[in-house]
Amino acid sequence: MSLRFHWMFPKGGEVALKTPQATSRVLTTRSTSPAALPDMEGWTSFARVAEEVGIESVLLSFSYYEPDTIFIASAVGQATTRLKFIVAYRAGLMQPATLVQQINTVSGLIGGRVALNFVAGSDPVEQRGYGDFLDHDERYARAEEYLEVCRAFWRNEGDVNFDGKYCRVEGGKLLTPFTAPDRSSPEIYISGHSEQAQRLALAHGSSWLRLIDTPEKLRPLVARFRERGVEVSLRLCVICRATREEAIKAANSMLPSEDISREERGILSNSDSQTLKQALAAADNVGWLNRHLWAGLVPHYGSSAMTLLGSPQELANIFLEYGRIGVTQFIISGWPKLDEMLIFGRDVLPLIREAEAERS
Amino acid sequence: MRREPQRKTSHVMSLRFHWMLPKAGEVTVAEPQTPQAAALYRIESISDSSPAPRPDLEGWVHFARAAEEAGLDSILVSFSRYEPDPLVVSCALGLATSKLRYIAAYRSGLINPTSFVQQVNTISALIPGRLSLNIVAGSSTAEQRGYGDFLAHDERYARAEEFLAVCNSFWRGQPEVEFEGKHYRVERGRIHTPFFSGQPEVYISGHSEPAERLALAQGTCLLRVADTPQNLRAKVAEMRASGLEVCLRMCVLCADTREDAIRVAHSLLPDSDVGRHERSISVKNDSQMYREGAALGGEASWLNRFLWTGLVPHFGPVWTTLLGTPNDLAEAILEYKRIGITQFIMSGWPERDAVVTFGQKVLPLIREGEQSV
Repeated sequence: MSLRFHWMFPKGGEVALKTPQATSRVLTTRSTSPAALPDMEGWTSFARVAEEVGIESVLLSFSYYEPDTIFIASAVGQATTRLKFIVAYRAGLMQPATLVQQINTVSGLIGGRVALNFVAGSDPVEQRGYGDFLDHDERYARAEEYLEVCRAFWRNEGDVNFDGKYCRVEGGKLLTPFTAPDRSSPEIYISGHSEQAQRLALAHGSSWLRLIDTPEKLRPLVARFRERGVEVSLRLCVICRATREEAIKAANSMLPSEDISREERGILSNSDSQTLKQALAAADNVGWLNRHLWAGLVPHYGSSAMTLLGSPQELANIFLEYGRIGVTQFIISGWPKLDEMLIFGRDVLPLIREAEAERS
Repeated sequence: MRREPQRKTSHVMSLRFHWMLPKAGEVTVAEPQTPQAAALYRIESISDSSPAPRPDLEGWVHFARAAEEAGLDSILVSFSRYEPDPLVVSCALGLATSKLRYIAAYRSGLINPTSFVQQVNTISALIPGRLSLNIVAGSSTAEQRGYGDFLAHDERYARAEEFLAVCNSFWRGQPEVEFEGKHYRVERGRIHTPFFSGQPEVYISGHSEPAERLALAQGTCLLRVADTPQNLRAKVAEMRASGLEVCLRMCVLCADTREDAIRVAHSLLPDSDVGRHERSISVKNDSQMYREGAALGGEASWLNRFLWTGLVPHFGPVWTTLLGTPNDLAEAILEYKRIGITQFIMSGWPERDAVVTFGQKVLPLIREGEQSV
């Protein structure tokens, strides 16, 4: 099986922005940010490039300051032909039957090119704005029931009946099926580092999605998931330049101004996500997790700014090493997203595909 | 709490006409269809073997372009467990057309209001404002339970009122929405993606007292099945006096002679088997509209010279049919305008032919007659 590469979908207006500072969360979460509005022109051009350079899917993030992921996936899906859309959604914002009906409808419209990234919820303040008052552990308990109901609909074996603590369905029936050339239900990515997130991924996910860490640290975790038939996907950023030194120089130029850093710290402190706590600890303690994995941008841009940097050959070797410990998928971001995706597609991906072809 | 309806001034005077979106697969691009085949397709669309649950963008766009050309304002996209999701379908069709608007039907208990607003606002940004909503508190108890909703009829309306109160707070542009009700609680609710311009029009359907109260409190328009102008006059006046529009849902059957129209209408009466099946659905249903509909039929099936309910006991209240010649129909519709009705949501057999006929033969007569109403 060859490694699968996905890219983070840019926020509204981001394709036109050229510096990481301009795309920082501090700026994009302001209500006046273009991130609040769909950007079909920028998105369509980004999506076509992604298709051309061999990116399989884009991940659309979910938040109150961005447009709804399901509709953006459907709209950009109408304008593309091969690219898939991994739609992030929070369990608990709508009835599971409603989510299944929406996702199935999208699948019918864009040839099944839709997958789900389930998040139990991250920031309690944001959750309350959505009418959700459960705490971290209870959110996972609900997500477990929620996914069980969704999967019962996708199994399509007669009426769905479920009587749980958070979800109850009697005689559930949806006639619109999930349709794709090769699947009868969407791939489900479960994110999170906590025990609960891992259990949820093992029980209901097709893949566990987590932040990148060193291969040594990840090896036993990945083995545990692969043994149970669940894939592991890593979320990371990439800075690829001709040499490692140039990549480090580029990385340092991406450090933001003092006030953006300070505000980002404020946003981060609201979160009860374990992923984030671990990533911040990594940044505070060491900065460099190994020769190529750098946490230096995490305190400024959030946990997903864990960055792999180096030359094309170095990066290709590193991805192949993750492949050897059992990781199968990567969801990548860069600054700017489009430029870094072009570099990756042109310089790194061919080296990986070449090595994969030799091996098989 | 009362919301201000958002209307284009150009619509204040002229009647607005909308059409039902055909079921998926109902409109075929290549082959012509008989009224009987169209009716049968619709009746069988809820069976497991029907292609109707699968989105059919090609057939829908073919229909939508005809509707745009005919001068229609919007397409109503209905909600049920037998069909694709109406918000997703409205968005997809909106992207494939340029003028036509979409009224997406949605049930209030199936999604939390903050998420609903985020979805609706996202669509409105993608298809510049061409989205309205038809909020239904729920229909059949069995179907609601399949979606995880176990409230009784009147409680569903109480929840729908809270649901729309939260939605309208977002749409009025409050930067942070606070709400604490029996069914919903929102704390510092924020959605950055705005509705394209102002607030969406909200149609509330139903014939019950709670439905009317909900429309008055949170809607811009009451949507109900057609009845005679005499029966509707008082209610319409009451709604209009409170600033609410009234929209009628009906089927139309237009032919060159009244006799031809009646002949086609009778040809749509079902074989007894299909009729029994539909009646059993109606009986299970706790919607007041359906209970009223089930009582119609037989001798009483002509409400007046143009309004026929012969199909209602078999297929439900929305099969109430206005039939006649182009002149008959134009006159009947202008009569509704005289009592204060402003909008109509229509359906026909087959949908595309009926839209084309309506646009070519009936609408010009209405536009002409409207000048003097």
